[in-house]
Amino acid sequence: MNVKLFGPELYYLLMALVFFGLSLRRRENVKQDYQIALALTGLGVVVTLLSLFQQGDLFYQAYKVDLFSQIFKFALALGLFLVLTISHNLAHIENRYHAEYYLFLTTTTIGMMLLVSSVELLTIYVALELSSYSLYILVPLRRGDDIDVEAGIKYLFIGAVSSGFMLFGLSYIFGITHTTYITEIVPKLGQLVDSPIGIIGLLLTLSGFFFKLSVFPFHFWAPDVYQGAANQVTAFIATASKAAAVALLLRLTALGSASGFSFTQALWVLAIVSMTLGNLVAIVQKDFKRLLAYSSIAHAGYFLIGILTLKADGFTAAIYYALAYLIMNFSVFLVINEVAKDGRDLKLPELAGLYRRSPLLSMTLILGIFALAGVPPSIGFTGKLLLFTSAMNQGYFWLVLIGAVNGTVSLYYYLKVVYAAYFVEDGGLPPVQLSVPIRILNLAMAAIIIGFGVFPDRIVNLAREAVKGIL
Amino acid sequence: MLIFNQLSTYLYLALALFAIGLYGVLARRNLIAMLISIELILNAAMINFMAFNRFLAPHPAVGQVITLFIMAVAAAEAAIALSIIVAVYRKLKTINVEQATELRG
Repeated sequence: MNVKLFGPELYYLLMALVFFGLSLRRRENVKQDYQIALALTGLGVVVTLLSLFQQGDLFYQAYKVDLFSQIFKFALALGLFLVLTISHNLAHIENRYHAEYYLFLTTTTIGMMLLVSSVELLTIYVALELSSYSLYILVPLRRGDDIDVEAGIKYLFIGAVSSGFMLFGLSYIFGITHTTYITEIVPKLGQLVDSPIGIIGLLLTLSGFFFKLSVFPFHFWAPDVYQGAANQVTAFIATASKAAAVALLLRLTALGSASGFSFTQALWVLAIVSMTLGNLVAIVQKDFKRLLAYSSIAHAGYFLIGILTLKADGFTAAIYYALAYLIMNFSVFLVINEVAKDGRDLKLPELAGLYRRSPLLSMTLILGIFALAGVPPSIGFTGKLLLFTSAMNQGYFWLVLIGAVNGTVSLYYYLKVVYAAYFVEDGGLPPVQLSVPIRILNLAMAAIIIGFGVFPDRIVNLAREAVKGIL
Repeated sequence: MLIFNQLSTYLYLALALFAIGLYGVLARRNLIAMLISIELILNAAMINFMAFNRFLAPHPAVGQVITLFIMAVAAAEAAIALSIIVAVYRKLKTINVEQATELRG
């Protein structure tokens, strides 16, 4: 076994041990803990970047290291690092729990890293549960009013039911193919995927990831958890966790690539319902995080458009969009976290006059929101363009049409945010002070959103290379 | 041929357990009862794995190993769920979900 292949996971495992040690101390040292966490996760990004082009198998072929998995590991490491950069004021998490907050963020990242590399059903299940359980604990960690435990309990129960569904589906797949290795399942499932047991097994299996991505029948948790969890935890759930879910959906839907009509038809319906429902309900939201939750449900539908093409083009687009979604969603959460410094839930009217209170933040906000809405020349536009063209090339005309209509509907509530920030007078709300690192972060986010939107070639080529390994 | 030496018997049993569990999660309002229902769903999956393993699988151990893993993971899940239920009880003085409805919209 080559230890270097397992490098990023080992690094994050050691990091979790460090945080575990920190959480055992009797006297907490918030500032020092934060600096340690920031330095370690920053180094983690470098570690995953260095292992980007590694290839190989581990653990009796149950664990595959390829470009696809390494790209997503890098994205996860980046997501964790970004979330920690906005964790400098964990106002809603008690001081004595800070070390545990870092610990559970790290363990959920390890779980997701294992998840994107695993190519065996039992490994996938255990890795998924590792990443979910840590998040179940993080959500009710918020102090204050009672909404945190309520959000926590909803997240836990919907998550547990969906993982039960997934396990039941896995048992059927195991039953008809007699194996748990994805590489062996694909040829055997080919003839069986259009039989009732095959399609039910595959759809039930996918439901575990539909939950993570908040696709339609498993979306109920999203608004409550987004609002009820601390802002930083929500930022992690909305960025890194989604990227991992997209990765696994890509790996698992590749199982159904031999199927004809019925499998894609089912995904088609889910995509349309998710998009439409998310966008329509988002219109009436007043709470900014709740609005983003419904926007994430809508985005789950867009991801499914790329996934259900079951072709290299669509998968490439989905990978690109997953990375873009991480960046643009994080930019918006960066703004939320800085405007709501005391960790409260931000209502839309509280954004009033942001362009005067903090021009830099309002620029990041408008770029992030326009990217989410898909306005050129942001990464969001490029991603949507790739997704829609890939679906169009496969002849999904109605799907693309409904997707485009949805994109227009979503503009309404995205522009409502921009309106609140730019065209409403501040009415005495105080200016927002930014520290120097946060200023740099703002500029970096803006540069990435525009830069990779105008010049997406490098990322797209990388994604195209990665897709070759899974289809 | 005996009825309990057939694959389909166990598949129907698992399906029934799954359905009961799903019904329990949707219909019961008590958090503990909902947790038990989720365990039923997991048990249904375990029975499936054991049955497929006994009647179809070429390798006799895979399904059993998976079942053991599910048991361990389900125990961890129950621990987390119960600890959050205790937190709910401390804050809301109830474990009935009808009372936990502050988040709306």
